[in-house]
Amino acid sequence: MLVVKSLHAGYGLSEVLVGTSLEVKAGTVVALIGANGAGKTTTMRAISGLLRPSKGEVILDGTPVQGLEASRIAQMGLAHSPEGRKVFGPLSTEDNLLLGAYRRLPHLVGFHAKAAPDLERVYDLFPRLKERRSQQAGTLSGGEQQMLAIGRALMAQPKVMLLDEPSMGLAPVIVQEVFRTIARLKAEGMTMLLVEQFARAALDVADYAYVMERGRIAIEGTPAELRRDERVVTAYLG
Amino acid sequence: MPESIIAQMAVSGALMGLVYALIAYGFQLTFATSKSLNFGQGELVMVSAFFSLTLLTLGLPYLLVVPAGLLFGAAVGMAVERTGVRLALEQRSEGWILLTIIIGLFLFSFAENIWGRDDRPFPTPIPSTPFHVFGVDVTPLEISVLVGVLAVMGMIELFKRQTLLGKAVEAVAADRDAAELMGISATRTVVLSYALSGGVAALAGILVSPITTVGPTMASALVLKAFSVAVVAGLESGFGVVVIGLFLGALESLASFYLGSGWREAPGLILLILALAVRPTGVFGKAVIRKV
Repeated sequence: MLVVKSLHAGYGLSEVLVGTSLEVKAGTVVALIGANGAGKTTTMRAISGLLRPSKGEVILDGTPVQGLEASRIAQMGLAHSPEGRKVFGPLSTEDNLLLGAYRRLPHLVGFHAKAAPDLERVYDLFPRLKERRSQQAGTLSGGEQQMLAIGRALMAQPKVMLLDEPSMGLAPVIVQEVFRTIARLKAEGMTMLLVEQFARAALDVADYAYVMERGRIAIEGTPAELRRDERVVTAYLG
Repeated sequence: MPESIIAQMAVSGALMGLVYALIAYGFQLTFATSKSLNFGQGELVMVSAFFSLTLLTLGLPYLLVVPAGLLFGAAVGMAVERTGVRLALEQRSEGWILLTIIIGLFLFSFAENIWGRDDRPFPTPIPSTPFHVFGVDVTPLEISVLVGVLAVMGMIELFKRQTLLGKAVEAVAADRDAAELMGISATRTVVLSYALSGGVAALAGILVSPITTVGPTMASALVLKAFSVAVVAGLESGFGVVVIGLFLGALESLASFYLGSGWREAPGLILLILALAVRPTGVFGKAVIRKV
């Protein structure tokens, strides 16, 4: 579903990604783990088009998308829940969700009615968001904002979803809830690429995993294989 | 009698202030989405007024001239975005400041060559015979300014709140990257905001022309004060510009009455300097609430 081939990207003259390759098969969850600064978030940004890759390929559902505008890639079915959540602070929770479905909805009238089933689905997944539907998103708690960021990505009915650090800065009990949600989405067949600091939790939910070091993939394998790998255990699971 | 003169002065001034507010609102529209604005906006007001005057002298009825003038202003706004703003923003440079000033100078010369340097009257079917309300004289022309300004601002605010496209404009203003991730093209949203801003500026020109006449320099003072209003109110404050516009318009009118007409331009500049020194986010500037 999503194939990344020897991707190079960076900021200004400094190259962060030096030939990253990975693959996310349809219906699977793939975890991308690694230390801070290894290039995980840069990989996500280069896939979704927020950062233009200097070399390499990104293939979404058979179509090369590298170099396209982020909005164009989103319209082709890739949803990216970015690091730091990036909800639209001044807008209401519900408006945030509606904008998540922007590519599928009429832009002037009737969008609310058309989005109703998707809104119900997200509210069913995150009842807290329903309680807060008319509240400004910027005033939600960190956990609620994370749910909103995931819900907003789901509203797009994407082919592939990128989740960047969904647990960042959240209380342990909320982190558990986020991972339960990811497991539930996986059970529903969602294809996901997950970047996580909590390598252990990420491996629990993933079908396959990549370990990034200094801008490229250093180790890859199934979670079971990685848990047996000494380098992974000492560096990331210890 | 002095009270009634003061009231009269304040009311006529305040109505003029609504025109500043409208142009200031145009500044806000583009600043929200792109953190840039058209420093040639005064010339945009002026060429739109000339264009509308030409249509009027060709015999087009006033009710058709207004929408045609708005569309013309929107088109010029889009042209300014394409030629003066987009490339600079893509390179994350401040080049749009110089480029929009240059486009303004170009429009100025263009207008001088096409329409001449003389100020011309702008005939409108709206009568300017005053009538009496609450002890002050108001002309239907002044009422048309009030109605026009509030109607177009109300419509744009409604558009931003009630349509998904409008919410997308708000989303780009809030977080450009995140909006792109929703499939919203930030580039097209900026074009839309420049079109709206141009239309709004054209309407300001059409509304003010019957009062001030039309000429190449008609809008240079106007736009300076509109800029003051935008900065004093806060470049992201929405209806705040109306309050500040009314206030500045009334203040100017009173200043020129009591201190002499040479003081007319002073309050706007003093307010601008005060605002920049004391409260750069503006009186109504939003303190953004962020939780991490």
